[in-house]
Amino acid sequence: MKDMVKITLSLVAIFIAAALIMGVTYKFTSPIRFYAEKKEKEEALKEMAPDAKDPIAVAGKWTVHGKSFEYYAATTEKKPVGYIASTAGKGYSSFIQMLVSIDTGLKVKEIKILHHGETPGLGDQVEEKGFLNQFTGKTLNQIVLVKTETKENIQAISGATISSRAVTNGVKDAVQTLVDKYGSGFTRAAANEVKK
Amino acid sequence: MTTDKVNYGTIIKNGIFGENPVFRLALSLCPAVAVTSGVKNGFLMGVAVLFVMTMVNGTVSLLRNFISPKVRIPSYMFIIATWVTVTDLVMAAYARDVYKQMGLYIMLIVAFAIVLSRAEMFASKNKLIPSMVDGAAMGMGFLLALVLLGVFRESLGKGSLWGYKFVETKPLLIMIMPTGGFFAMGLMMGWLNWVDRKFFGGTGASSGGH
Repeated sequence: MKDMVKITLSLVAIFIAAALIMGVTYKFTSPIRFYAEKKEKEEALKEMAPDAKDPIAVAGKWTVHGKSFEYYAATTEKKPVGYIASTAGKGYSSFIQMLVSIDTGLKVKEIKILHHGETPGLGDQVEEKGFLNQFTGKTLNQIVLVKTETKENIQAISGATISSRAVTNGVKDAVQTLVDKYGSGFTRAAANEVKK
Repeated sequence: MTTDKVNYGTIIKNGIFGENPVFRLALSLCPAVAVTSGVKNGFLMGVAVLFVMTMVNGTVSLLRNFISPKVRIPSYMFIIATWVTVTDLVMAAYARDVYKQMGLYIMLIVAFAIVLSRAEMFASKNKLIPSMVDGAAMGMGFLLALVLLGVFRESLGKGSLWGYKFVETKPLLIMIMPTGGFFAMGLMMGWLNWVDRKFFGGTGASSGGH
């Protein structure tokens, strides 16, 4: 009986001490992390549309996988030069968060992976340029994942098919959204709004 | 727990060679296979483990008279989880560049058998400094094993080292798949045992059982 109390107390003491340490660390590091991430996101957005002179503004929100994402219109002197959407794909062990930019001809310009938690050595290969560059210049219908060598579509990385598919689907969803919104100018976007 | 003078040389040699976590104790083989498809991955994982093991061994050693033996495993697990979380949070805030490279690995360390094993086998019976030295030495051994496996697998599987290509051929893709990890591990273990038996007169066999 006495033993039981002692064991419980020692466990509780360790747990409380650990919780305190983690809590204090979190309190001091989370604001720094938050601002660092915000700044990184702004820089990433700027990188996605280097030819936009105006500051990139949020144009609206869209939803995928039950999460809300933003899309942006990159403009120079109020004229659109491209569109950007943040998106995510469901990978092997995490959501892969990305930025996708398309030009005014609705072709993919660039993909940037912001955050993911895929398996090191396998899934994280989707970050490599060789894979991501495949998307450049593709139209919506070309964004299809295949397992053989291809110029028309997207070739999956061997050993990382699920992560490759996650990126491909995430990009496809984002491009679909952007095409829906900006497909044939703003009239189409307006029509879609009415339909919904 | 002995009061004799501790021989740090022995502890370090033991961690890196005598009881190398991967090749001798055969512990934490799962991460050793998972992350060694490239030298860089193996190295970064090794560094993270080195740090966490040193800190965990130190903490466990400090608390060794306080932790009730009957609930030592949950206590150790919590100490490990705390250090891993603290490492993760601090790096995410202050070392963004390194975190982007290593962030993936840090959370995985919680589940490593080798960290728990050293807390149980060494730190709970020894004083602070020897325990930390043991943690660091074991971490070094782990780091070395991961880098060795990484060099072997990446050079065969991708024809590159640390991401830099040095041959332009179609590589032996199987080596970077998990299957190749087991091949590499077995070959490496066998080779090291052979070296040990041939030149150092050791018994060779991986002790397993721990």
